[in-house]
Amino acid sequence: MLISNLEIVPGRQVLKHLGLVQGSTVRAKHVGRDIMAGLKNIFGGELVGYTELLNESREESLGRMLEQARAVGANAVLNVRFTTSSVAQGAAELFAYGTAVILDDEA
Amino acid sequence: MEYENPEIPEGINVSREHPLKEFAVLVGGTVALILAIVLILGWLAESIATRIPFSYEQEIAGDIGHDVSDNPAQAAIERELQSLAEGLAKHMQLPPEMRIRVHYVDDDTVNAFATLGGHVIMFRGLLEKMPNENALAMVLAHEIAHVRHRDPIVSLGRGVVVGLALAAITGVSGSNLSDSVFGSAGTLTALSFSRNQERAADTSAVAAVAAHYGHVNGATAVFDLFSRLEAEHPLKPPEFMASHPNSSGRRDGIAEQADLHDWPTEGILTPLPQVLQVSE
Amino acid sequence: MIDIIIFIILLVLGYGFGRLLETSHYRSILRREQAFRGILLIATRTPPPDLIPRKIQLVAGNVVISVDYFKRFLASLRNIFGGRVQSYESLLDRARREAILRMKAEARALGADMVFNIKLETASIYKGHKNTIGAVEVLAYGTACVPHNREA
Repeated sequence: MLISNLEIVPGRQVLKHLGLVQGSTVRAKHVGRDIMAGLKNIFGGELVGYTELLNESREESLGRMLEQARAVGANAVLNVRFTTSSVAQGAAELFAYGTAVILDDEA
Repeated sequence: MEYENPEIPEGINVSREHPLKEFAVLVGGTVALILAIVLILGWLAESIATRIPFSYEQEIAGDIGHDVSDNPAQAAIERELQSLAEGLAKHMQLPPEMRIRVHYVDDDTVNAFATLGGHVIMFRGLLEKMPNENALAMVLAHEIAHVRHRDPIVSLGRGVVVGLALAAITGVSGSNLSDSVFGSAGTLTALSFSRNQERAADTSAVAAVAAHYGHVNGATAVFDLFSRLEAEHPLKPPEFMASHPNSSGRRDGIAEQADLHDWPTEGILTPLPQVLQVSE
Repeated sequence: MIDIIIFIILLVLGYGFGRLLETSHYRSILRREQAFRGILLIATRTPPPDLIPRKIQLVAGNVVISVDYFKRFLASLRNIFGGRVQSYESLLDRARREAILRMKAEARALGADMVFNIKLETASIYKGHKNTIGAVEVLAYGTACVPHNREA
């Protein structure tokens, strides 16, 4: 499965558009991470726990989007976008969406 | 088409000013702002509060301590304190409508205070530490002076006005961090007002004591007592964080006043009346 | 009294560690930016029609960076007087560049030499008391193009 945030794939042709596919995940940090973050908020610096959290969320939302794409029979998702939003304090939503397409075979 | 990523110079999106400089400017500005607010509003509140008629102040105060205690010993102490206070008040040029009412509280607290409506509260903790009547007179005269200077209502008015102004600012800034700065700076300025009131009350009180007894011997005993008590508490805050000036400073202030007005510092000490010789 | 002492200790700690972490972070950012200079970042939406890569793939990098106590205090004072909140400028700058560097690292692992259509997404999941920014999260993503003459 090809994922790209370009609108076209150079050298290949879109045979069929299959519409919007999306993947979303809401994750909350756990208390341990909160405590570490509280400490880090005094000293500054990277909040590694949250970075991991964001990584996991990103992968999961992409995975869910791919699952949708696979279900509609696409072999690529183009023009992918991410958005984040904070649903509640300490919970993060990561939302990925794009266009599911069928590309011609690799040249 | 050609693509290249030339190097972009550093520091375009970031100010290179030293953060400590910004810190100094901001903290200085904040402190100046608070000082201005507290001083101007405090002064305004004071001039308005002193114009409030005393009768109205009495109404606000309500019926504090009208329920004279059932305990006859306590009532006797209260009567004795009241008559001493009235004796002192004669020398203090109180306005005719201003009446002093002394209340006695059977509690260990080493304190006495004046509140709205001319009520003066004396605690057993302080009374039992009084060596003689002169020292007690100094304490009572000090509290009466507070009433005469309208300090309770001035403090109340100032507290309300300044509190509102600071709350308005911190509400704008919307952060608990700056709240704490505003809170402390406001409190410290309010405390400096309070120390000025204490000094003024001391001055009036020692004049009353001198007029009542003909000398000021014993008047400073209460400050020696406070000095001793303070020495027992090593974690005493420095003067700028306290509501009262240093006891030794107040003692010196009294000596200065006595010097200035040629009041004799020697004289016969009056013992405490039997009723007032309380102990636990 | 105790409150004030704790407050001052936090300020000093925040200032000391915050400065230390920031300078070392900037040093590492500059070093890695030099190392990844070979990968071109292009913010246009589509690659030119004459460029036919062997493979394209989405790459992303993210980071969450927190601001120290001292800088947060400065920012809260800034709220009263208005003006440039200098203490947060470097936070955002560091976060964005770090996220881009991580994205570049992913692109390098694929053997790509260009990343097209770069997007930056900034959010704040972690919010401190009364909505002061405690930390900033940046997600950088784009499409890496792997040229024909390179091995993946």
